[in-house]
Amino acid sequence: MSISIEEEATNPSRHERLVHEIKALVERLQELTPSYVPPAFSPKAVWELFERAAQSLPQEQIQQVVPQLQKMFREDMFDPEFWQGLWFLINYQIEMQVDVIKRRFTGEYEIDEWGYDAEVFEALRPFFDFLYSYWFRVSVTGMENVPDYGRALLVANHSGQLPFDGGMVMMSVLNEHPNQRLVRSLYATWFPTLPFLSTLFEKIGQAMASVENGTRLLQQDELVGVYPEGFKGVGKLYSERYKLARFGRGGFVKMALNTQAPIIPVSVVGAEETYISLYKSETLAKLTGFPYFPISFRFPWLGVLGLIPNPTKWYIDFGEPIPTDHYPLGAADNMVLVSQLTNQTRNIIQEMIDARLATRKSILFG
Amino acid sequence: MTTARTILVTGVGQYWGGRVAAQLVQEQGVRVLGIDATPPPTKIEGLDFIQVDIRNPLLAELLQTEQVEVVCHLAFHESRRRSEADFDLNVMGGMKLFGAAVAAGVQRIIWQSSTSVYGAYASNPAFLPETWPRKGSHQYGHTSYRIELEEFVAGFVRQFSHVAVTTLRFSNVIGPTAETPLSHYLTPKLVPVLLGFNPVLQLIHEDDVVAALTHACLQDTAGVFNVGAADLMPLAKAIHLAQGQEVPILHPLAYWGAASLGRYFPLDLDAIRYRWVGDTAKLTAEFGWQPQYTAEQAMRDFTAAKRTPPATQQARALDEAYLRQVLDKRKAG
Repeated sequence: MSISIEEEATNPSRHERLVHEIKALVERLQELTPSYVPPAFSPKAVWELFERAAQSLPQEQIQQVVPQLQKMFREDMFDPEFWQGLWFLINYQIEMQVDVIKRRFTGEYEIDEWGYDAEVFEALRPFFDFLYSYWFRVSVTGMENVPDYGRALLVANHSGQLPFDGGMVMMSVLNEHPNQRLVRSLYATWFPTLPFLSTLFEKIGQAMASVENGTRLLQQDELVGVYPEGFKGVGKLYSERYKLARFGRGGFVKMALNTQAPIIPVSVVGAEETYISLYKSETLAKLTGFPYFPISFRFPWLGVLGLIPNPTKWYIDFGEPIPTDHYPLGAADNMVLVSQLTNQTRNIIQEMIDARLATRKSILFG
Repeated sequence: MTTARTILVTGVGQYWGGRVAAQLVQEQGVRVLGIDATPPPTKIEGLDFIQVDIRNPLLAELLQTEQVEVVCHLAFHESRRRSEADFDLNVMGGMKLFGAAVAAGVQRIIWQSSTSVYGAYASNPAFLPETWPRKGSHQYGHTSYRIELEEFVAGFVRQFSHVAVTTLRFSNVIGPTAETPLSHYLTPKLVPVLLGFNPVLQLIHEDDVVAALTHACLQDTAGVFNVGAADLMPLAKAIHLAQGQEVPILHPLAYWGAASLGRYFPLDLDAIRYRWVGDTAKLTAEFGWQPQYTAEQAMRDFTAAKRTPPATQQARALDEAYLRQVLDKRKAG
């Protein structure tokens, strides 16, 4: 970003293009909101705006930005049109943020029938993006197996004490898939009883795990993510890592058969080491009401610091879809078929995990 | 007039009975008979009112004499606390009415229930179908009595399959005039919420409640239907639209407080903690009527009625320009 500003400032043709782009953008914004008039343009007001913006930046960044600004001023950037355009844009941005906050306090926003709130999601997205790109440095393969349109059931292994894997599978499809599809993960019945998390999960478009919810979502041609291991998977001890637990009662297969949705096996490698659980305390689990209570090197001894995940390198692999549309309707009642498909999916995911582990050299660097 | 079908509305002295009766008398080809222990507060033109309680032993004879074809049962005391008197009217009265109806050869019975009979639970699916078990909380009178009458009606339908019974399970009712648990909850400026919980609410406008009941009386419908507006909204949005301010309370404290305060709080705390939304697919497919208001319009109507300060009303009464406008309109019309 910083390099591009420098280049834009020094290269005359690019400078012209930039001025032109800003002018076009301003025109479009003025068309959209004809009533918006920015505060009067004056050098003093510009400086005040810069000061306000600078207060929210860390010291190091200011030190980087200041020489660049000076460089820009040395070039022929005294074109008033350019500054007026920039002025309009910055003010528009501030006005928009204030407007969003105001609207949230007067109740003027929309949700879908599952509680998904696009504005909340966009506000939280930078955090998930940070985890995805910088903290876990997720590598993704097999995105071509996720359909561009229509229903599909993503079935993944569950690990890592806290459900970061759900978030990262969601971010991988959002970032890497050409249609940027939203994965609707199904979460455990325990979460709706928790403050904040219950609201958060609903706001980002997830739903409580039940065959009814999964079936309805698939019928609406959504991309549904399930973690059939549940708490048995996410609460694994370090010694049991990457050994898949029982795959629930086959509820996910029933959802797929009910709606003839393809099952896409997904393996997540790297999540197991985000927390190293050495022991599960049943006494503390009962006392706190948690489904399991892990004891690690850092948790619970360091409190909140113990909740920071290890920055392991993650691999998310999407396998080839298992079609279910050739089974007749009502196949969900066939218990033999359901358990057969459950085992088939489980074995494929175990093989995918084993293949990835065989090539992985380091937990932290991949 | 001999061909007009006779509809009996119970509870016409109360809010819902009065409104539905007032709506039905406007319709063509029906004769509306209203009963209640107390007469309607304002006289309803065209309503044949008889001051009789639904528990009267001679009710079957009345139904027979008047050749009632359709019974719209709306006599119900919306009480928070459970009391023997309310149980006697809401549950026993309902049972006696259904019994009298079948003895008098009534063809169809319509009555008003609530989606609160499902109860608010963490394990609820996002959309509760009509077949979902009625696991609602028995702490509050209104929900408890509805569940008991629902159980009775389920048995009644099995036993007397020739009587068409329509049960309308309304979600949270809100509007400018209706007094409901949710309207009581949202009326104060400061609204207590559970810290970190913001479940999605399903709402229905009070006019839609009246319209749905009227539709059920006039058309051949039978079965159980969830009735709710097409859109849903988070609790926080409802509070903000009502121009209220949330007061978050740590949930263990709130439960402790609610337990010690008794039924002072208008809603079960679980109802503002978990999602309880009825699936309205059956309503869309089979009922032949759709709610006219969205949840947001219902909330705005409620707010417009509740939050207009008396001062502005008085100012308007003295406003010359306003009267000028009205006069101009009247002269033109």
